[in-house]
Amino acid sequence: VSRLLRGGLVAGVAVLLAALPIYLESFWLQTGLFAMGAVIAAIGLTLLVGVAGQLSLGHAFFVAVGAYGYSYLAGQEVPGADAPAGLGLPPVLALLGAVALAGLAGALFSPIAGRVRGIYLGLASLGLVFIGQHILQNATGITGGYEGVAVEPFRVFGFSFSNTDPDDLTILGVPYGQLERLWYLGLVLAAVAIWYGRNLVRSRPGRALAAVRDGEIAAAVMGVDVVRYRAAAFTVSSMYAGLGGVLTALAFGRIVPESFGFLLSVDYLVMIVIGGAGSVGGAAAGAVFVTALPLVLNHYSGSLPLLAEPGSGGVGASEFSRFVYGAAIVAVLLFARDGLAGLARRARRSPEVKERLA
Amino acid sequence: MSRRLFGTVAVALALAVAACGKGSDDGGGASGGDIKTGPGATKDAITLGYLPDLSGVFAPNGKSMMEGANLYWDAKNKNGGICGRQIKLSTQDTGYDPQKAVAAYQQMSGDVIGLGLVLGSSITSALLPSVKQDGMFLNFAGWTSDILPNENVAIAGTTYDIEAINAVDFLMHEKGIKEGDTIGHLYFEGDYGENALKGSKYAADKHGLKIVEQKITPAETDMTGQVSAFRRAKVKAILFSAAPPQAASLAGIAAAQKLDVPIVANGPGWTPQLLTTPAAGALAANYYVVSSMAPLGLDTDGVKKFLDAYEQKYPKGTPSSNGSLYAYAGAEIADAALTKACENKDLTRKGVLDALHSLDGLDTGGVVAGKLNFTDPAQPPSRLVYIAKVSKDAPGGLEPLGDAQTAADAEAYAF
Repeated sequence: VSRLLRGGLVAGVAVLLAALPIYLESFWLQTGLFAMGAVIAAIGLTLLVGVAGQLSLGHAFFVAVGAYGYSYLAGQEVPGADAPAGLGLPPVLALLGAVALAGLAGALFSPIAGRVRGIYLGLASLGLVFIGQHILQNATGITGGYEGVAVEPFRVFGFSFSNTDPDDLTILGVPYGQLERLWYLGLVLAAVAIWYGRNLVRSRPGRALAAVRDGEIAAAVMGVDVVRYRAAAFTVSSMYAGLGGVLTALAFGRIVPESFGFLLSVDYLVMIVIGGAGSVGGAAAGAVFVTALPLVLNHYSGSLPLLAEPGSGGVGASEFSRFVYGAAIVAVLLFARDGLAGLARRARRSPEVKERLA
Repeated sequence: MSRRLFGTVAVALALAVAACGKGSDDGGGASGGDIKTGPGATKDAITLGYLPDLSGVFAPNGKSMMEGANLYWDAKNKNGGICGRQIKLSTQDTGYDPQKAVAAYQQMSGDVIGLGLVLGSSITSALLPSVKQDGMFLNFAGWTSDILPNENVAIAGTTYDIEAINAVDFLMHEKGIKEGDTIGHLYFEGDYGENALKGSKYAADKHGLKIVEQKITPAETDMTGQVSAFRRAKVKAILFSAAPPQAASLAGIAAAQKLDVPIVANGPGWTPQLLTTPAAGALAANYYVVSSMAPLGLDTDGVKKFLDAYEQKYPKGTPSSNGSLYAYAGAEIADAALTKACENKDLTRKGVLDALHSLDGLDTGGVVAGKLNFTDPAQPPSRLVYIAKVSKDAPGGLEPLGDAQTAADAEAYAF
């Protein structure tokens, strides 16, 4: 029965999420899309940091590789215009190519990841973000420099995830434009990312990674190829980041280097810490929290008491959201070291424990 | 157990199917009186979107801009508004983060007639696809010619490259720089600095000058290395396209190393607060600013009106040319476009955009140099600049040298 229940719940949630574009204003759809992109990338980071135990501050770099990789592979060459070049591949191929590119970047970096540990690896990967920023600013032929580059809309079987082609798509009286259509793409990609991530953690390779995290010598004695697994973790994590980057790029419509700076790397770390490092569901929840919080607080800044109107001085919504953000991290570190995922686990377990005690 | 589950699913399905949710009422095409209105305009109000940075790296400047905007629109509303309608501002902080900006735009885009102010060119770039689709105007708080030609974007005054050409011209006519001389150019990576560099290279090419480039990022504030490089290259003058922290360091270190040459900066290279730094003396000796925004010491009606109103409303504030004064001027441009659209009886977004592009000879009372002409989206509305010298006694720390002017090179320059 409980299996049926679970299946039914998942189906119910899926139907609810699928129905949301009918109700939600474009602000919520946009926020949701950014959150979905963050969910995918954050799962990648939790696999690397939480499961495999390799600290990375370079996640934003791999997200950027995915985002710019897609825009380059799918971009159409505009004759005459000095717009950044593109290969004009079909968007599906471009998406896969961008993910592969991010994976390749991760694989290339993994020899370094194999040599340094802990905080030193964090610092080494931090370098990637700054190198990445320099390339994004200066390789104007591909990235467009500070002006950024327009992102080709996603298309599959002639259906475009943009406002046109088919034009004026209406479902249940609601016009389905770019954001509504992308919503479903985001849902599918995020669902696949969560499903794959959960299976990976529970599978043989996932357990091997956890063994490497908990003790490399012990893992090696058990027959785990430590170097290979460490490299594989970096590659898979980068591919997740790449996919998250593609979805983020599609949600933006135009990407600029500022979106992929050092702060983004920190945000991802905060997501997985709040969610509970190593938990796929926790990373997803943390990603939604960290991405949506500032946007939602900004949204309600007019109606929240005690918050000043923007531009009038005093504590405004954006300052307030920073305080909440900081307080959330401190609270999690103090009271729930295993994050949202740990809280959920305890909440689930406690009735059973009580029953058994009674 | 499973009954509850099916209940949940059934409710979810019912919700999904019974939806007649959002959409349908877009508010467009309605009419108020005999004036056509669209999103952002009703019978008694017009709403403008403002997207400044109030919590990120440009927060001080963003807050100053909102002072200028509030100053202008409050006075306008007291005098009856535009077209019998009050002007409302819908302000959202971007934190200089494109993601926040795009979300904030999605939130306000249905309710505003246009964007009264957007700070930052990367943010403007990120917003442009949507802005273009919604067909609204965007007052760009930046002066880079790379954004041109663009139907939707309005720049207040001239662009960084033209400023730099005028700076070179000023050096040659007033500061004794001649063919064969070497001048240094210290600039930011990104739109602002690189756009200015385009102008200085063009002018240098024309007059046989040699440019020594020093590119920096906004994070670098110690200019010792750059000053040494300029000294080694024996520069006769320095062009400066960075921010006030670098200006203080550059002028101070140059004075300490006895590199006594004029420094000519773009508009964003100056803030009155620089006069409170230890480099104030060095700045007063050698620092000049070329900008299409008026130095606050300028004696014209527009600037005096602004200063009076500012002192009354913000007695403790510090007015600045590219903060509060800029937003004041930007509001004036939006006002002119809206007023014209009202005369044309078309307060739709397209009507406002058309009205903006019909503006020719807009006079801001000297706040922006020259008469502004918005009819050609491929050109900045003016090519005139003010040149000013740092002075401890002038309002805003800048004493204007002559009236609005432009060099022949700048007139001939093609983007």
